[in-house]
Amino acid sequence: MRAAINGPRMALAASMVILLSLVVLDGMVNDWGRLAGGFDNLVLFFHQSLWPPDWSVLEPQVYPVCTARAPFEFTCSTAWIGVIETIKIAFVSTVFGMILSLPLSLSAARNLSPKWLSYISRFVISGFRSLPSLIWAIFFVILIGFGPLAGVLAMSVYTVGYLGKLQYEAIEGLNKTPLEAAEAMGLSKMEMAFNVVIPESANDLISHAIFMFEYNFRSGTIIGIVGAGGIGYYIDLYLRFLQYDKVVAYLIIIFVVVLLIDFVSIYARSFFNDNDDLRRPTWLDVFVPEALKMGK
Amino acid sequence: MSETEESEGPIIRLKDVTIGYDPEDPLVDIPEMEVFPGEIVAIAGPSGIGKTTLLRTIAGLVSPISGSIEVCGGAPSSPPKRGELGYVPQKLGLVRHASVLHNVMIGANAGNKAPWALLPSSLARSKALEAISSMGLVDKIGEPVRRLSGGQQRRVATARALAQSPKLIMADEFLSELDEETMQMVLGSVIDYVRSSGSALLVVEHDISRAKSMADRLLVIDDGRINPFITEITAVEVKV
Repeated sequence: MRAAINGPRMALAASMVILLSLVVLDGMVNDWGRLAGGFDNLVLFFHQSLWPPDWSVLEPQVYPVCTARAPFEFTCSTAWIGVIETIKIAFVSTVFGMILSLPLSLSAARNLSPKWLSYISRFVISGFRSLPSLIWAIFFVILIGFGPLAGVLAMSVYTVGYLGKLQYEAIEGLNKTPLEAAEAMGLSKMEMAFNVVIPESANDLISHAIFMFEYNFRSGTIIGIVGAGGIGYYIDLYLRFLQYDKVVAYLIIIFVVVLLIDFVSIYARSFFNDNDDLRRPTWLDVFVPEALKMGK
Repeated sequence: MSETEESEGPIIRLKDVTIGYDPEDPLVDIPEMEVFPGEIVAIAGPSGIGKTTLLRTIAGLVSPISGSIEVCGGAPSSPPKRGELGYVPQKLGLVRHASVLHNVMIGANAGNKAPWALLPSSLARSKALEAISSMGLVDKIGEPVRRLSGGQQRRVATARALAQSPKLIMADEFLSELDEETMQMVLGSVIDYVRSSGSALLVVEHDISRAKSMADRLLVIDDGRINPFITEITAVEVKV
């Protein structure tokens, strides 16, 4: 019989796990003395190389000549071009990934497909997910050369793996009664998928796709480092020239854009929940924390 | 010539059937049970005795532990053919995020025997509209089902079964949550369909007086043993 979980038992178990992790870490580290002076090095590196950020990355490039009028010259900057390209890669790969993952996840769902098909589909989905998008990007750069197309292909493949898993889990979590009713009527699996499963899980599917776009933007900043397009290309360029102040400027821009996409994603996903009575956030709710609005 | 005259055999025939989920713990034994075209048969009995499991077994959703089941003239123990069975489950089985029309169209499409019935035909659409109208839901046609009341959702599930034009309707407590007036309307539409089409209605109803008022025959699942979930015989037939 399984023992009941109580406070002292939990504390003992947690202590054992922490102790084990410390022992494992100690086994991997030869010289703890290397930590000494690490903080001083960080402070020195920060003041000499990282700060202040070099915001010239927001200025128009020398070549090609910028044709944008004031105050839109920033659209000719490497930061803008890189961010927009990353957003485009994320958008296209999310759409392509969704188109490919939906049939796979329908055949992977055990409540809809026979076991053998479900296992094969899960195997394919897991295969796509098992390599991170960075490795897929290296693979596609080798296959088709540098540029955003390699990025789109890499992230589409990874999206199939990641989104496919989210989708089949959402489908398997559906209430079984609508499927049973459809089965009793004698509908084919295809009709059940289109008429019952997709409409019933639409909220989850859309919400997952929006989340995936957000995720793909974040990954998209990395894959440029291996030459698959986007802002990562410029980060890699300035890292090679040891211009860390420009790299920090890019990182801050990425941080701000990720925050903005996060907020927009929260707002967009709020339209796809099951509770009609749940109050949808206003734009003010999204951008201004609740605490700041208390005084209004 | 009506369909009733065409098909003289029973729409449902059960012979020496034992139902349940566990062979070691069967729910109901049914030595013999038949339902004929044009007939309305109610199954009554206490809660948890196996009424819903009986419907699910006849619908082919659960395999019987033993015995032979024939539905709509099909081979013994094979599930009903496409569109022959209109099923209103106790939990309704509606697509909650979709509209009333979408839900009823699912039934109407099931009645469409075309091999590729993904695209709704105009005939299916007119059947769906007719069924929605008979359930008094015309003003809710575009409304997502999740926004409807429990009684309205029950009417949507009934409309879905009617739109299918099935040979057999099986309904599990389909009149609960309805007020008297609406109940009469829903019941009237279903009975009209059954009588005019020569199909049959098998309905589970825990309220025995209501079951008697609607049915031609009442099958009571009788709980006569110490273990309340094992029943000797269902068919204590009461001619109403």
